Amino acid sequence: MTLEQDFEAVDQFPVGMRVLAVDDDQTCLRILETLLHRCQYHVTTTDSAQTALELLRENKNKFDLVISDVDMPDMDGFKLLELVGLEMDLPVIMLSAHSDPKYVMKGVKHGACDYLLKPVRIEELKNIWQHVVRKSKFKKMKSIVINDDHSQGNSDQNGVKANRKRKDQFEEVEEEDEERGNENDDPTAQKKPRVLWTRELHNKFLAAVDHLGVEKAQPKKILELMNVDKLTRENVASHLQKFRSALKKITNEANQQANMAAIDSHFMQMSALKGLGGFHNQRQIPLGSGQFHGGAATMRHYPLGRLNSFGGVFPHVSSSLPRNHNDGGYVLQGMPIPPLDDLNNKAFPSFTSQQSSLMVAPNNQLVLQGHQQSSYPSLNPGLSPHFEINKRLDDWSNALLSTNIPQSGVHSKPDALEWNHFCNSDAAQAGFIDPLQMKQQPANNLGPMTDAQLLRSSNPIEGLFVGQQKLENGSMPSNAGSLDDIVNSMMPKEQSQAELFEGDLGFGWHNSSLRTCI
Amino acid sequence: MQRQVALIKQSLFDQGYLDEQFIELEELQDDANPNFVEEVATLYFKDSARLISNIEQALERGSFDFNRLDNYMHQFKGSSTSIGASKVKTECTMFREYCRVGNAEGCLRTFKQLKKEHATLRKKLEQYFQASK
Repeated sequence: MTLEQDFEAVDQFPVGMRVLAVDDDQTCLRILETLLHRCQYHVTTTDSAQTALELLRENKNKFDLVISDVDMPDMDGFKLLELVGLEMDLPVIMLSAHSDPKYVMKGVKHGACDYLLKPVRIEELKNIWQHVVRKSKFKKMKSIVINDDHSQGNSDQNGVKANRKRKDQFEEVEEEDEERGNENDDPTAQKKPRVLWTRELHNKFLAAVDHLGVEKAQPKKILELMNVDKLTRENVASHLQKFRSALKKITNEANQQANMAAIDSHFMQMSALKGLGGFHNQRQIPLGSGQFHGGAATMRHYPLGRLNSFGGVFPHVSSSLPRNHNDGGYVLQGMPIPPLDDLNNKAFPSFTSQQSSLMVAPNNQLVLQGHQQSSYPSLNPGLSPHFEINKRLDDWSNALLSTNIPQSGVHSKPDALEWNHFCNSDAAQAGFIDPLQMKQQPANNLGPMTDAQLLRSSNPIEGLFVGQQKLENGSMPSNAGSLDDIVNSMMPKEQSQAELFEGDLGFGWHNSSLRTCI
Repeated sequence: MQRQVALIKQSLFDQGYLDEQFIELEELQDDANPNFVEEVATLYFKDSARLISNIEQALERGSFDFNRLDNYMHQFKGSSTSIGASKVKTECTMFREYCRVGNAEGCLRTFKQLKKEHATLRKKLEQYFQASK
């Protein structure tokens, strides 16, 4: 479809919604095709699941929705469902003559947006567009744009939402999926500008929340405190909701971890941080659902915090690591950008050496190791759960704010959160894609996705949450390896950050524990 | 001619060969799709002939692979339902039931009945479409 055509289609949604229909039964396929035409959708049919996949892979943006039969000779419909969800993140509707709830359940579990029984009635098909809307709305919630936050010349585009969105996409978003998501967003949003929760914005949000207190914060008040033009209470409300969920999730996880940490006595002696066990190199912290692979990833961050615990001993370190990201999302003890995970290959060596020189003195127990992955964990014993909570929140907000998509040959999908594309990817910022093959969370994550899943989900940044995330793009983003840069870039900010640090710890309990470290 | 068409159609419904689904199909027929129903019916009979032949072979082999038979029948049922072939659909259901309990003889009997219904429907529909032209 040409751009103009796209615009038209978008504006007339659901008319022209592009559906891919898959059914090996010719009779049913023909009927389905006609029904869909009657609903004024744009229909492509195929009787083979393989062909369907090829079509979809060829151009992810070509379709808005997939309808597929369950029983097909060349591939199980459920399998197709999974693959589509995983690779293309499109809504998929199952069709079957099986009315057995077992099948329906299976469909739902594999991520189907809906399950229709044959013979399909046209009334049912008339409403399937809701799934497209729902899915894209979900993505929309996670990545909204405030016009004035955009540096990319949106001013002329305010009126024409479709245009604006598309242009935004082209200019800022490398991710095709988001384009598609945006297309779908357009017709459904009520002419509201989308809000992008940039770092700055998020910081304001955090500051406001902190001021009000997490429990007591209310969207209206937050909005007032933030004092941002064009931000609506609804924007804040949904952001707050996510935030709280994330918080809750992290707290739970951290509690779990704390328990585990307490068991590990290896580095018990360390620190101002009340003895919580250290983290071993090899230690895998089962985050929440235990989806965590590459447990080392999590730990990599800890040593940095650990360093901070030495407070004045390593002024260099503490000053250079005051926050984890440039504008400091939620304050974390000088963690440079969370998704260092696999940057570590490049970044860590230098970083490690920085640390090693610093670390040498105080404590022989600190086992500094030269190697990347594991060095950090061992560096950091005794991390308080609070720290972790902070850390994770920060990760979460990082995830929210700045996911950088590697420029080249991105086959990878945006994280399920889909925040990335809106970020003005700052080279120095986080958003390094975990070269460890981050794979998108299956579509079902987006469907009924809870915030917990969100947190956990395919956020490229999130080495912390789910190491399993894999981006098909194996290359490191160009800004990888710039850990030094990050560190250095943070230094000048030490001042303000330090102040912020003081005041910015939204969680009261963090304040106390962290302060003792400084 | 019109009356004849109407009569044939009426009898098809009265005798339970067709159900509401057929009407749905007819409603989909329009200027853009003037022969939609006939096209679908043609597809159906082509498909189902193939299925019947497969099932026949499977039955003749005498080995009675109920799973496979059930699969065939599931497909058959699916398309029959889509076109509104009510009696055929019923026979399919029965056949599958016999498969489920492993009743070979029941399968054979039902299949015979099914073929008969199928043939009748085909003939009647052919008449119907002829008359409609």
